[in-house]
Amino acid sequence: MDARLRRVNKEIADCKNDKTSNITLDLVDNSPFHLKGSFPGPEDTPYQGGIFEVDILIPDAYPFQPVKMKFTTKVYHPNVSSASGAICLDILKDAWSPVLTLKSTLISLQSLLCSPEPNDPQDAEVAKHYTTSKGSFEETARYWTHIYAGGPGTKQSKGSAGRDEVAIAGLEQAHVDQFESLGFPRNKVIDVLRRLNYRGANVAQIPEDRIVEELLKV
Amino acid sequence: MKVIIKRWHAVAQWRWDTGVSSDDGDEEGDVCGICRVPFEGCCPSCKVPGDDCPLIWGECTHVFHMHCLLRWIGTAASNQQCPMDRRPWVTAERKVKNLVPGAGAAAPSAS
Repeated sequence: MDARLRRVNKEIADCKNDKTSNITLDLVDNSPFHLKGSFPGPEDTPYQGGIFEVDILIPDAYPFQPVKMKFTTKVYHPNVSSASGAICLDILKDAWSPVLTLKSTLISLQSLLCSPEPNDPQDAEVAKHYTTSKGSFEETARYWTHIYAGGPGTKQSKGSAGRDEVAIAGLEQAHVDQFESLGFPRNKVIDVLRRLNYRGANVAQIPEDRIVEELLKV
Repeated sequence: MKVIIKRWHAVAQWRWDTGVSSDDGDEEGDVCGICRVPFEGCCPSCKVPGDDCPLIWGECTHVFHMHCLLRWIGTAASNQQCPMDRRPWVTAERKVKNLVPGAGAAAPSAS
């Protein structure tokens, strides 16, 4: 039997037998080389209570080449693309080793959620949010965990029907209202304020004219 | 009583002397970390276990099927490092101990 197939089958079986890690591996279609992994968000982080799913592709030269993993659950984290789920983690690139397994790699993703590396970001906007106003970043990450990963609700989301686009973007309702009242469409305002990182201490740094200027451009 | 042996059937068992005790509770101890096949089996590109599919030891004490390790070291991505500890891979001269001369599996010489 093909070496790659034998090793992957073993890894899937080992993961099924391990009841303590809460990590799951499932086939996506009938191929054992396209899997769906999942793990719970780490405790004492904004990701706590969520279940995060990862798309896993096993390359032909596995385990001599790293597995390809990306989040299919949306995650608000400096090292995960908020749009595509692409992950910036050394072991998925040049620090891969053939002794790493699907399970150990998923555990590494779990610990990446505990310790963001904003200096090596996958999502520059999220990284800026993280470095300029951590409290607001955590609130947004918690909101994303709630709406996308099935995590517990936050104060701001209670009672509000549907998804709050302002909270998803990690912005203040008052700031969005302020520019919306000038006659700009809400989605454009959200877009521009997010791009300029109009949060926390940064708000005082960015003159309102600058924002209006950007709003007129788009 | 007189016993006449009509037929006898010898059974032998061999293991690589990995220096890792198999009863230390570490299940990972006796499989190759690269292919996850037991050391007593052979690497995925071989069909018959034994001297033709030997083990290789690093100076860092990590053990693999020789073919698995050489395949990894042959990739640019390996940076010639041990897959376990990322130290530069240096093949160890095997120190053979507790071996009765002429008995048991001969340790493969370092290549």
